[in-house]
Amino acid sequence: MDNKKIRAIGAAVLAVLWVGLTFFSWFGPAKELSTSERRPLKQMPAITMESILDGSFMKDFEGFTLDQFPLRDTFRSIKALFHNYAMNQSDNNDLYISDGYIIKQEQPLDPASVEHALSRFQFVYEKHLKDKASNIYISLVPDKNFYQAEPSGHLSLDYATMFNMVKNRIPWAMYIDITDTLSLEDYYRTDTHWRQENLIPTAQKILAEMGAQGLKPEDFTTETLDKPFYGVYYGQAALPVKPDTIQMLHSAAIDQYKVYDCNEGKPVGSDLYDMSQLDSMDLYDVFLTGAKKGTMVIENPNGTPGKELIVFRDSYGSSIAPLLVSDYAKVTFIDIRQYNPAFPNPFLNAEGKDVLFLYSTLVLNASQELK
Amino acid sequence: MLFSSIPFLYYFLPAVILTYFFLPMAVKLLLKPLCKRDGLADKLCLKLRNAILLVSSLVFYGWGEPKLLTLMVFTIVLFYGCGLAIGWCKRTLFRRLWLIVSIVISVALLGFFKYADFFVDTFNSVTGLSIPLLRLALPVGISFYTFQCLSYTIDVYRGNVASQKDPISFGAYVALFPQLIAGPIVRYIDVARELDSRTHSWDGIALGLRRFLMGLAKKVIIADNFALLMKLFRESDQPSVLFYWMYAIAFMLNIYFDFSGYSDMAIGLGRVFGFNFIENFNYPYLSKSVAEFWRRWHMSLGSWFRDYIYIPLGGNRVSKARWFLNTLTVWALTGLWHGAAWNFVLWGLMFAALLLIEKFVPALQKLPSFFRHVYVLFLIMISFVLFNAESLTQAGTDIIGLFGLTGAPLVTKETLYYLGSYAVLFVMGILGATPLVKNTGLRLNQTKVGAIMEPLVLIILLLICTGYLVDGSFSPFLYFRF
Repeated sequence: MDNKKIRAIGAAVLAVLWVGLTFFSWFGPAKELSTSERRPLKQMPAITMESILDGSFMKDFEGFTLDQFPLRDTFRSIKALFHNYAMNQSDNNDLYISDGYIIKQEQPLDPASVEHALSRFQFVYEKHLKDKASNIYISLVPDKNFYQAEPSGHLSLDYATMFNMVKNRIPWAMYIDITDTLSLEDYYRTDTHWRQENLIPTAQKILAEMGAQGLKPEDFTTETLDKPFYGVYYGQAALPVKPDTIQMLHSAAIDQYKVYDCNEGKPVGSDLYDMSQLDSMDLYDVFLTGAKKGTMVIENPNGTPGKELIVFRDSYGSSIAPLLVSDYAKVTFIDIRQYNPAFPNPFLNAEGKDVLFLYSTLVLNASQELK
Repeated sequence: MLFSSIPFLYYFLPAVILTYFFLPMAVKLLLKPLCKRDGLADKLCLKLRNAILLVSSLVFYGWGEPKLLTLMVFTIVLFYGCGLAIGWCKRTLFRRLWLIVSIVISVALLGFFKYADFFVDTFNSVTGLSIPLLRLALPVGISFYTFQCLSYTIDVYRGNVASQKDPISFGAYVALFPQLIAGPIVRYIDVARELDSRTHSWDGIALGLRRFLMGLAKKVIIADNFALLMKLFRESDQPSVLFYWMYAIAFMLNIYFDFSGYSDMAIGLGRVFGFNFIENFNYPYLSKSVAEFWRRWHMSLGSWFRDYIYIPLGGNRVSKARWFLNTLTVWALTGLWHGAAWNFVLWGLMFAALLLIEKFVPALQKLPSFFRHVYVLFLIMISFVLFNAESLTQAGTDIIGLFGLTGAPLVTKETLYYLGSYAVLFVMGILGATPLVKNTGLRLNQTKVGAIMEPLVLIILLLICTGYLVDGSFSPFLYFRF
C-alpha cells in the first residue's frame, strides 16, 4: 500500500472518530448521575432570551457538554493515565497512587481553616460543655497522606503544626494521639476513610485514655458486604484500581445496641449498619448512615448505668462508633456540619458526661462546613 | 468560546464545517440549471459561504459576550462605510478625513473599553483624586480586530488595496472566528483576494485540521500544564530561588505554547475554510539577538507596528534623537497594546532599550553564538516575568527572587517535588520550542513509518486533548485579555 493510501485511511479514521464523538455528543441520551463521582450530571439548560443575554445559558451549556460527553469516564482515565505515566506527573488533581492506595496529597496546611475549626470547638465548649462535662478529650484522625507522603516522596501538610495548634488552642481538652495505632493498611484503598475492622487498637487507645473499659479483639467477628466499594477517590482519580470491600464488625454486645436517629426532635429507631444504604452512591454510609445525620444516639443495655459519652465527630466517627460505646450506657454522636450548635439540642446535655472531639485532619484543613 | 473547549470542538466547529461545505453545495446543485452565466453559481456559493462565516463568527463572538455583539457590528459598519468612502472620494482631503474618522472612532472605542480605568487610575494616583473606575468588561479580541480594521482603511487610503464593496465579505473578514480573538493580525490586503475567490480541497482541509490539532495539543497538553505549575508557584507559602527560576521558565514556555498554539489553530482553521493566514511565530527562542526575537515572535503585530506606526513616524531615516523617540514611542505602544497597566509599558520600553543597546553596541553581535543565545533567553525571561506580574511590586519581587534577594531558601522539598513532577513537561516544552519536532516530522514524512505515524499521532492527540478538556482542566487563553 502506498503512503498516500495509508495517510488517507488514517485521516478517515480520525474523521470517523471526530464525527462519531460529535454525533453522540449531539444525539446521545443524557445521563442523570455519575456513579463514579457521586453527583448528578448537568442537563441541557433551557433556552431563554434572558439566559442568552446574561450569558448563563452558554455557561450552563458548557457544563452540560462536559458532563454528558460520550465515554466521559474513559476520557478522564485517558487523561489520568497520560498525565501520570507519559508526563510522569507525581499527582493527578492532587491524587496519587502508592502501594495500590489512592491518596489525596492534602497540602499545604491552612492555618486559617484550622483556626476556624478550633473556634467552632471553642464555641461548643463555651455554650454546651463548660462547667458541665466531666472530662473532655480531643483526637485527630490522620489522613492517608500522613503515612504515605514521606515514603512515596509526596508533599504533605505540616501535621506537627496542626497538632500543636489543637493542643495549644484547646487547653480544656486532653489530647489523645492515635497516629501510632494506625497505618496505611487501616484505610480503604479507594476511599478517604478508615476500615472499621482495623480500628480495634485505635478504639482501645482512645478508651484507655478516657478511662473506659477496653475491647477484646476476640469478641468480634466480621461480616463482609458482597458489593464492591468504589470509594470517593476512585471516581476522582479515574485510574484503574481494584475496588474495596466493606467489612462490618459484630459482637454479642454490639448486636444488642439500640440506635436512634435524633434529627427530627425525637428519637427514631435506626440501624448501626444501615443496609438501606447498599443502593446509595456511597457504601460507607452503611456505618451509622455515614455523615448525613446531625445527632445519633447509641444505647448500650450492657453499659454502666449513668455513664455517658458525647462524641463530636465527622464521618470517620461513623465507623468507629460501635467500638467507642464500650462500657458507656449511652453515646451521643453529634456532627456540627449538620447541626448548628448555636441552636438548642435536647440530646446535647453534657452534665457529668465524658466528651470526645474526634475529627479528621482533612476536615480541619478544610473546615468551612463546620457550623 | 474557546477553541480548546468541548462546545467548540464537538458542537460549534462540526456544525460550521457541515453548514459551510454542504449548504452551498446543495444550493449550487439547485441553482446550476438556472444560472446561465459561467461561474455564477460558484460566485453565489462563495457569497453564501462568506455569509455562513459571518453568521457563525458572530455566534462565536456573541457566545462569550452577547451584549458586546453590538460593538462588533458597529465596528464592521464603521470600517465598511469608511472604506467605501475613502475608495469613492477623489480628493485627498476627504479621503484623509474618512481615514481620520475611522482611526479616531476605533481608537476611542479601544481606549474607552480597554484603557479608561488605566488612565483614571493613573490620574487618581498623580492628583490624589478618587474618580471612580468604570470597571468595564473588556471586549474579547478588541485589540486584534481594531488593528485589523485599521490596516484596512489605511491600506485603502494608501491605495494598496481596493475597498470591499460587499458588506457580507467585509463582515466575514472582520469577524472571522478563527483569528478573531487572538490573532494573528490578518491584514485585509493579505486575504482580500481569498474573500472574493478561494478554493477548497481535501488536502487543504486535512492540512488545516492537522495544524489545528497540533495547536490544540500545544495549548492543552503543554501550555495549560505550565499554567498549573505557575499557579502552584503563586500559591506557595515560601517559594525557593529554584522555584522562582522554574516559574520564570515555565511562563516563557507557557506564553509561547499558549499563543503559538492558538495561532496554529487559527491558521489551521483558516486553511480549512480556504484562507492562507500569515505565520505568527518562527521559533523565537532560537534568537541570537533581541531584534531577531521580535522578527520571530508575534510577527503579525511586529510588522503591523512597523508598517503603520514606526515607518510613518519616519522610522530610522530621521535624526538620531527623532529615531530614538520613534523607537520609544513604538515600543511603549506595543507594551500598552498588550495590557492596560504600567508593567506592560515598562515591558515595551525595556525592549526599546534593549534594541537601542543592540544598535549602539555592535560588539554584542560578535559574541560567540552560545553567549548570544543565553543573553537573549535570559533577558526575554526577565521581560516575561515583568509582563506576567499583576503589579510592579510583584514584578520586582519575582525578579529579585531569581537572584535569591528575597531571603528565600535556594531549594525546598516542595520545589524538588514539583521539579521532579514537571521535569518531563519542561523537556517537552524546551524541545517543542525548537524545530526538532517539525524537522523529525518532515524527515519521516516521505517514509511508510511517517505515513502511519502521522494520523496515529493526531488521533492520540485528539483523544488526550479531549481527555484533558473533559477532566475539566480549563484555562482561558492568555492573549484574550489583550
